[in-house]
Amino acid sequence: MLIQLAGSFAAVAVLVAVAAWAKIAKPMSPLSDARARALLADEFPGKTLDGLWIATDGRGALARSGASALVLCEVGDGYAARHIPWAQALSASFRDGVLRLDLADVAAPRARLAFDAWPPAGAR
Amino acid sequence: MDPLHAPFDPVTLAIPFFVLAIILEIALARFKAVKAHYETRDTMASLAMGLGSNVAGLITGGLAFAATVWVWKHRAFDIPMTAVWAWVAIFFLEDLTYYWFHRLSHERRFWWAAHVNHHSSQHYNLSTALRQTWTGGVAATWALWLPLAFLGFPPAMLAIQKGISLVYQFWIHTEAIRRMPRWFEAVFNTPSHHRVHHARNPRYLDSNYAGILIVWDKLFGTFQPELDEETPRYGIVKNLNNFNILRVAFHEWAGIAKDLAGARSPREVVGYLFGAPGWSPDGSRDTSATLKAQWEAEQAKRDAPDVAA
Repeated sequence: MLIQLAGSFAAVAVLVAVAAWAKIAKPMSPLSDARARALLADEFPGKTLDGLWIATDGRGALARSGASALVLCEVGDGYAARHIPWAQALSASFRDGVLRLDLADVAAPRARLAFDAWPPAGAR
Repeated sequence: MDPLHAPFDPVTLAIPFFVLAIILEIALARFKAVKAHYETRDTMASLAMGLGSNVAGLITGGLAFAATVWVWKHRAFDIPMTAVWAWVAIFFLEDLTYYWFHRLSHERRFWWAAHVNHHSSQHYNLSTALRQTWTGGVAATWALWLPLAFLGFPPAMLAIQKGISLVYQFWIHTEAIRRMPRWFEAVFNTPSHHRVHHARNPRYLDSNYAGILIVWDKLFGTFQPELDEETPRYGIVKNLNNFNILRVAFHEWAGIAKDLAGARSPREVVGYLFGAPGWSPDGSRDTSATLKAQWEAEQAKRDAPDVAA
């Protein structure tokens, strides 16, 4: 059984190495305003955006929709999205150009978004 | 044939094929011969889940096997492993059982917690097929196969047919194959049908639960064809935001525990455990049904003629 387990580990290592070598992840580029809006429309159909702020590194975005903050953050070559109360986003910790959001979700506990300033002008 | 010990395990025999097929899919995608995307950390998470699933199976498999043997010893009929009709019968009955197991695993949160990991990748490639559960044994979904043992199908026969089903379902986890011949698509589960099953587009949620035969979905009203105008977006309604395999394996269980800790009545306990995934006492969270309803309402609004015009 140990031999079988060692063989399985070796096979996993080989497959991961081959996947890394191939470089066939989905092509990712920094989020644009239009792309962020399209992703948010997929994630939160029917929600109207009152404001949208793209992270300075293009790896996420935060939008206001009424009393909610819609959070979008990059995960590998995809995205995860959550909504939290807008007031919570406004009062989130902002240090060294990084906004740290508590998403209160076991599957996505926190999000970190890079901004020049927070809250940005007009966000309140 | 020994009714208690399968002479071979289809899954073990297929492992070299799994490895070679994944390498082939990656290589063909690398040289742009087929469509496939592999993200390294995602691939590592999927394969680690597969490996861990085998280890978890060693721990809980004994109980499932003992229960199957006990039920079989109290069987209603004697079904010979050597009869062709018995293999034909178990093919259909096991596949029907798989359909209901799979449907339950999506539509009730307790079993979704054990199954969600398989859907947590935002990719759909052959490595996703190996992203298997660590907690299926604990969730006791194996109990759904006990009626077949009670009917008289020997445990070895059940093990072989379950293995065949699992091996069949490996190759359908791919974007490399667009459509199979029409007759095949009509009868069997295919990459196209299963892409829909893995999609998180509201229109595609909770459909195509088939194992080998897609006819069960057509029979029970859960069939949804893949539409050219709607490309599947893979993953779960609320995607994970990292590749930690402990989170992949246990996040929904942790979510259940958190909800139960805050439950204020037996009704809430039952709802959080056995309601649809996303159930909440005040209806503030989304279930597949509410997401579909929202999507349908949006579509209706879009399609409605402009009355002001």
